[in-house]
Amino acid sequence: MSPQPMPGRIHVAILLLACLAGLVFASVSTFDFAQHLDRQEHQLHCSFIPGQHAEAAPGESLGCQVTMMSPYSSVLRAVVWGGVPVSLPAMGVFAFLAFRAIDLFGRRGRGRRSSAALLFACAWIPVIASAVMGAIALFELDAACKVCIGIYGSSLVTVLAAGLAFASLRRPTDDGGDEGPQPSAGAIWGLGLVQLGTFVAVPILAYVTLMPDYSRYVGTCGKLRDTQDPGGVMVALDANDGAPPAIEVFDPLCPACRGFDRRLAASGLDRKLHRLAVLFPLEEACNWMVEGAVHPGACTISEAILCASEGKGPSTKAVIDWAFEQQERIREAAKADPNAAKSLVVERFPELGACVGSAAIQQRLNRGLRWAVDHELPVLTPQLYVGGTKLCPEDTDLGLDYSLTRLLERRGGEP
Amino acid sequence: MNPMALRVVLGIAIAGVPTLMAGTWVSGAGKRLARIESGELAAEDADDEGKVAVAAAADEGYCNGDLRKILRRVLKSCGLLGTGEVRGCQPVQAKSVATMTGDDFNALFLPLQKKAGIIQFDKDSAELDPADTALLDKIFAAQGGASYFFVVARSSPDGSTDHNRELSQKRADSVMAHLRKNFADPALDREVGLLWLGEEYAQLAQDFCAWDRSGGADKCKPKDINRSAFVAWIDCRL
Repeated sequence: MSPQPMPGRIHVAILLLACLAGLVFASVSTFDFAQHLDRQEHQLHCSFIPGQHAEAAPGESLGCQVTMMSPYSSVLRAVVWGGVPVSLPAMGVFAFLAFRAIDLFGRRGRGRRSSAALLFACAWIPVIASAVMGAIALFELDAACKVCIGIYGSSLVTVLAAGLAFASLRRPTDDGGDEGPQPSAGAIWGLGLVQLGTFVAVPILAYVTLMPDYSRYVGTCGKLRDTQDPGGVMVALDANDGAPPAIEVFDPLCPACRGFDRRLAASGLDRKLHRLAVLFPLEEACNWMVEGAVHPGACTISEAILCASEGKGPSTKAVIDWAFEQQERIREAAKADPNAAKSLVVERFPELGACVGSAAIQQRLNRGLRWAVDHELPVLTPQLYVGGTKLCPEDTDLGLDYSLTRLLERRGGEP
Repeated sequence: MNPMALRVVLGIAIAGVPTLMAGTWVSGAGKRLARIESGELAAEDADDEGKVAVAAAADEGYCNGDLRKILRRVLKSCGLLGTGEVRGCQPVQAKSVATMTGDDFNALFLPLQKKAGIIQFDKDSAELDPADTALLDKIFAAQGGASYFFVVARSSPDGSTDHNRELSQKRADSVMAHLRKNFADPALDREVGLLWLGEEYAQLAQDFCAWDRSGGADKCKPKDINRSAFVAWIDCRL
C-alpha cells in the first residue's frame, strides 16, 4: 500500500515558496547594503521585482534609500563599519525556514507534528521583525521601501502557511510507524533552535570576518587650518561646552544633512560632541559658489537660524528641527515664489520676521560662506570636523558610528 | 543515503547559500575598495572629493586681465594688499598708479553697477544721513562672493583743492566708520579700500545719476553727484 499523501502538503509547498521569496528579497536588501562597503554610492534595487534598479527623482530620496541610510537598517554600527544589516539575519532565518519546510516533507508521525510546531513558532520571527521594522519605516522614517515590503509580505505568507500546515498535522492521521523510533519533541526543538542559531550566525560571521579594515581611513580626509571663529559665524547646536568641538557645515534644506543629523542623534555620539554649525545654504541667492537654487529657500532659512542663535525668539534647535521637518514643503514653496520661505518662517516664528532679511544677518551668513572660502572647504553638505579633523564624506552615512567613534578615540576623548 | 545524513547535507547546502552570498558581496566590496585605493578603479560615484568644487571667492566675467592688473596695482600701491592695513589712497597716488585718465578710471567701475551705489553728502559735509546709511548697509550686505569693497570719495570743485581733498578723505572715513560700527566683520580691514580723490581726479559724469544713489531726483547735477562716496563690491580674485 502506498503511503498516504502528507496532510498540509500544499501549505508546506506555499510555505517553502514564501520562504524562498523572503530569502530573495532579504538577499537583494543585503546586497544593496553590502555593495556600499566599498564606501561608494550605488543604485538600489528599490522594486518589487528583484534585480530591478530604481532611480530617485532629483532632490528626492527613494524609500529604500531612506530606509537603508537610517540608523535602523543595521546593528552594531559602532563596532562594524556600517553595522550588520538586519536583512542578513533575515536571510538566515528564511533559509532556515526553507530548510525546515523541506525537512518537513520527509518526516513522519509525531516528529512531523513537532517539526511543524517548530516551523510555525519560528515563522513568527520574521513576522515580528517585519512588524517592528514596518512600524519604524511608517511612523519614524515616513518611507516605504519596496524590497522591505517584499520581506514583510513573504513573512506574513510564511507564518500563515506554517500555521495552516501545523493545524493540518495536529491530528495524528498518519502515524508513520514504519520509520522506526522518532526523536522526541524536545530533541526536535533543541536541534531546531541550534540550527536556527547556526543559519543566522554563520552568514554574520562570514560578513564581519571578510570586511576590510576601515579604521585606516579615519582622520585621513583633511583638517581645518584652524577652528577659530573670529567672525562669529558658528552657531552652537548644544550646550556641551566641555566636549570636543565638532564643526558641522550644513544646509538646513539639504536632505542629506537631515539624514546625517538624525543618524548622529540616533548614534548617541552627538552627546559626546560640542556641535557648532556653519551654515552653507546651497542656493545661488546668497551663495555664489552654486549655480541656481539646489535647495530653494535655503538662504532665508539659514538666516532664520542665525537670527534664532542671536536670541531673537525661538531656540536655534527649534528652528533647525522645524526646517528639517518641513524641508520638502519649504523647498517647493520657495521654488514657486522666492518670498515664500520668509512667509513660512514668519508664519511659524513671527518674532524672527524683523531679523530675517536684515543687512546684518545677511552679512553674518555671508561671513560663514567666506569662512568656508578661507578654509578652502569643498562645496558640499554635510561636512563634519571633529577637533578640526574631517570625518570622511564616505563615513557620514553608513560608517558614521564606526568612524566617528574612532575619530573621538584618536583625539583621546571617550567615545 | 541515510535520512539524517541527507538532512545534514541539505542543511549545510541551504545554510551555505546566505553565507556564500554575504561573503562574496563583502569580499567583492573589499576588492573594489582596494582597487579604488590603488587608483585602478575610479571612485566615480561617491568619493568625488577631487571633483567637488572648492569654496572660493567670486570671480565675475568682467574681471579681465586689464582690470585685474589695475586693481592689483591700485590695491597694492594704496596699501590694501599684503599688509592688510587700510591706509587709503590719495588723489595723486590713485592717479599715478592707475596710469589712466579719470574717465578711464571711472569706466573700470561700470560693470559693477549691480553691486554699487553713490552715497551723496550735503555740501561741505561728511555726515551720513539715514538715506545714506540705508543705501550703504544695503550695498555692503550684498557682498556675495566679492573680495574687495571700494570706497571712492570725492568732492565738488567748490572750495579750495586742499579743503576738498580733506573733505573727501573725511567722507571716505565716515563710510568706513559706519561699516566698522554696524558690521562686526573681522575681515573689514582686508576688504575695504578707501580712495579719496577730492576734486582733482576722475570726477563722476552725469551718467552716474542712473545708478543707485542716496540723493533725491533733484540732486543730480555734476556738483551734487561728486559730493559723494562711490561704494562698490568688486567680484574679482587677485
